[in-house]
Amino acid sequence: MAEICYEVVTDACPSSVYESTPAHSRRRPRFQTVMHEDWEKNCKRSKQEALATRYSSIPRSSREDFSDQNVDVSSPRYGVSSVCGRRREMEDAVAIHPSFSSPKNSEFPQHYFGVYDGHGCSHVAARCRERLHKLVQEELSSDMEDEEEWKTTMERSFTRMDKEVVSWGDSVVTANCKCDLQTPACDSVGSTAVVSVITPDKIVVANCGDSRAVLCRNGKPVPLSTDHKPDRPDELDRIEGAGGRVIYWDCPRVLGVLAMSRAIGDNYLKPYVSCEPEVTITDRRDDDCLILASDGLWDVVSNETACSVARMCLRGGGRRQDNEDPAISDKACTEASVLLTKLALARNSSDNVSVVVIDLRR
Amino acid sequence: METSQKYHTCGSTLVQTIDAPLSLVWSILRRFDNPQAYKQFVKTCNLSSGDGGEGSVREVTVVSGLPAEFSRERLDELDDESHVMMISIIGGDHRLVNYRSKTMAFVAADTEEKTVVVESYVVDVPEGNSEEETTSFADTIVGFNLKSLAKLSERVAHLKL
Repeated sequence: MAEICYEVVTDACPSSVYESTPAHSRRRPRFQTVMHEDWEKNCKRSKQEALATRYSSIPRSSREDFSDQNVDVSSPRYGVSSVCGRRREMEDAVAIHPSFSSPKNSEFPQHYFGVYDGHGCSHVAARCRERLHKLVQEELSSDMEDEEEWKTTMERSFTRMDKEVVSWGDSVVTANCKCDLQTPACDSVGSTAVVSVITPDKIVVANCGDSRAVLCRNGKPVPLSTDHKPDRPDELDRIEGAGGRVIYWDCPRVLGVLAMSRAIGDNYLKPYVSCEPEVTITDRRDDDCLILASDGLWDVVSNETACSVARMCLRGGGRRQDNEDPAISDKACTEASVLLTKLALARNSSDNVSVVVIDLRR
Repeated sequence: METSQKYHTCGSTLVQTIDAPLSLVWSILRRFDNPQAYKQFVKTCNLSSGDGGEGSVREVTVVSGLPAEFSRERLDELDDESHVMMISIIGGDHRLVNYRSKTMAFVAADTEEKTVVVESYVVDVPEGNSEEETTSFADTIVGFNLKSLAKLSERVAHLKL
């Protein structure tokens, strides 16, 4: 009988409010880039899905049409659930850093969320949790980040993170890590990284691997990342162009070994397994929430179902009530993340499951 | 009528030169009970029969992310004089059926302080895959193991200086 470990993490949300600047004084260019391809696995409709669908049909309260252009710059509301599941070891890691960066000459905070799904061992994902947000912070150059600047920032951060885990493996490993028993470099350990930086007017997502970011907008899923599977046509072309190959062993695998085409670490599979992230930048609108999760969730829960569950937990997706207690939103987000985790386990996910739900309602 | 079922097999040979003396390399390589000393894909190893000598059987668990979780392997031959080791995979949840390997270590021709390790294997080609795919997969695993052996041996040799 498989033992299922369970752990829920909720951090207290620091309260802070910033004065907003009149919208007309900003010259920020607006871009919207959304990945429309959806490589998700179509889940067979099941009892749980029908249940979630039924709940999601709760009538939505009518939304007042506010002409107020000011954005809500208070602290983010979010919930986290991260469980070992049926695997014996926990190799997922989650990083949340509200107001992790306040660019120069700007009063608008940026919030960082990251999910890292390790393989081979846990220490690369643990290292990403400790370091990647700091590298992003260092690479941020100004508060007027346009689309190209965000891409450059994320690509440089991921490359630096990858180099760090490679060289760091040559020096020492953490005590609680299996690799402590070994002296060789841990070239065969890696991690996915799906990262989101949320600003007052943009959602930036950088993804490397097969974790995923899904925006829930008006109850509909909008994928903000595309899974890096080796048989994705452009990934297959890139791998073969580099002299590698994708072998269908039990599923498509790079050289028959690794089931994802991009990862932080995995030095022995470079250059076929790249650490370059794909970056999307999405303008914020009337959004419900953002879901970041490892493939322990997405392998068994569709984007649509995840959005339905999250929206149901956020009280039917209505506008967040004025002066709503921040603790209420946090609780709703936590409930959403916990429910999604339980749903994944109920559907026999055989992996670690990590879910972050971020309330984007203004 | 007698039907003879003969599986399609394939094989390969990989060579690794190691900048470390033969006695050191062999002392790491020959430990049938401790492959995780240099094989990074091995998470745990326990002998289910034998004491590490010929005929011993080990139960190996594999790190996450690979297309297998465990492997059962038997030490068919261990010759400490000619530095030869033969291993068969006799079970597991992987697709390397009837995998047999022969590993030899000897002093490099150009200098006594270098070792050459040669590993040859044969294995059935799994249904649905080609011979080329199978050797490509196995070569990746074996090649990585040999590189790890080299890295570890050279590091230990360096420490002993």
